[in-house]
Amino acid sequence: MGSSENKPELIVNGKRLDGRAFDELRNIKIVSNVIKNADGSAYIEWGNNKILAGVYGPKEALPKHTGDPEKCVIKCRYQMAPFSSLEEHGRAGPNRRAIEISKVTKEVFENVVLLNQFPGNAIDLYIEVLQSDGGTRAAGITCAAVALATSGIPMRDIPFAVSVGKAGENLILDMNKIEDNYSQADVPICISPRTGEVLLLQMDGELTTDEFRRAVSMVQKAGETISRLQVQALKAPYERISEKYNQ
Amino acid sequence: MKMPIRLVVPGDQLEDKPANIEHAIIEHDRTYSTVLGNYDDEKKKLIPLEGLWYPIHGDVVIGIIEEEKLNSYSVSLNAPYKGIIVAKYMETQVQTGDVVEAFVKELDKTGTVVLMRAKKLFGGKIMNIKPSKVPRVIGKQDTMLKQLSDGTKAMIKVGRNGMVWMKGGDIALATAAIMRIQEEAHTQGLTERIKEMLETRKV
Repeated sequence: MGSSENKPELIVNGKRLDGRAFDELRNIKIVSNVIKNADGSAYIEWGNNKILAGVYGPKEALPKHTGDPEKCVIKCRYQMAPFSSLEEHGRAGPNRRAIEISKVTKEVFENVVLLNQFPGNAIDLYIEVLQSDGGTRAAGITCAAVALATSGIPMRDIPFAVSVGKAGENLILDMNKIEDNYSQADVPICISPRTGEVLLLQMDGELTTDEFRRAVSMVQKAGETISRLQVQALKAPYERISEKYNQ
Repeated sequence: MKMPIRLVVPGDQLEDKPANIEHAIIEHDRTYSTVLGNYDDEKKKLIPLEGLWYPIHGDVVIGIIEEEKLNSYSVSLNAPYKGIIVAKYMETQVQTGDVVEAFVKELDKTGTVVLMRAKKLFGGKIMNIKPSKVPRVIGKQDTMLKQLSDGTKAMIKVGRNGMVWMKGGDIALATAAIMRIQEEAHTQGLTERIKEMLETRKV
């Protein structure tokens, strides 16, 4: 949250700063299979966010003590590139925030991937933020879900994530950097669309019970659009080749 | 009218009743896909487009000897499983680094693939392909593999784990053809296109 001094008006003439409606998503573009050497990969452009995700494995968990003889483990690394944002991200190695996001992302996918099929192995999941503009953890999870599906690792579902916030009296969907810094609340939510299970729920700031319910329903509605884009990105490379020959 | 074969993604419903389909899960009396694949509604079969190798008894694999132990050899299979060959099942003498062809005996509880009837492959070149594309490289009753060997005059052996061993002949052409099969595996009429490719760039 930014300081309350010099706080910008987030809602002007009933519209947000970038001209969006309260429940409008930014433009999303997803491309699958972008890294040739990875087992699965995806790239997402979500507004001004640019994120790359790569999946390697399942392969033997090394060092040995990190593995589990009964199931597969997921090792996730979320990292922001030094040039990704206006603030400094130049220090080498993961910082407090990156460790937290890596942990919550890992826990999202532990509930989706069928881990018991590969005992003693590990799946490496790398999320690199190349350019950031608020909501990178949600975009990172959305991108990583596509990357995992392209690698052929068995999954129950393809989860999506998006954040909701509160500006003044209004709930706003999919906040950008300025809204993220000066809003009264920030709630990233990750949902498994098939079952409706909530896989990630964090809350920064305050919401009333009624507002929270409305926030969840906004996310569920936006999820239809995001899920459709994820499925399109997954199918696109195959449909392109099929169209070429199967006419 | 339903399409006979459709492209499915993880979480897509395959059947509205519990059905025993490979690479699928049953939840709340419905069957869902867990992989990106082609689903045949008539045959009730899900073929993954991307994916991993699930060892079953009798699979032919190609591996590289990693370590020599007291009475066994550990084999690298380029898969999430470790391979092991007990020395008495080895048909030829081998050393670390040798390429072997073997059959899967079983997958034990710890995730180790026990191999049998292993024999050394002399010389040649190794390439890795996606295990999900192996059936297409081999073809129905080995048609594609036979066509590749005839067209390039190379000796080719394909392991279910995705390792391909090639020796002699036009290896460059064989590699190019296998890469193309891998890329276009989900399309129809591929055998004809590969035949054309091999004929136009013949040794």
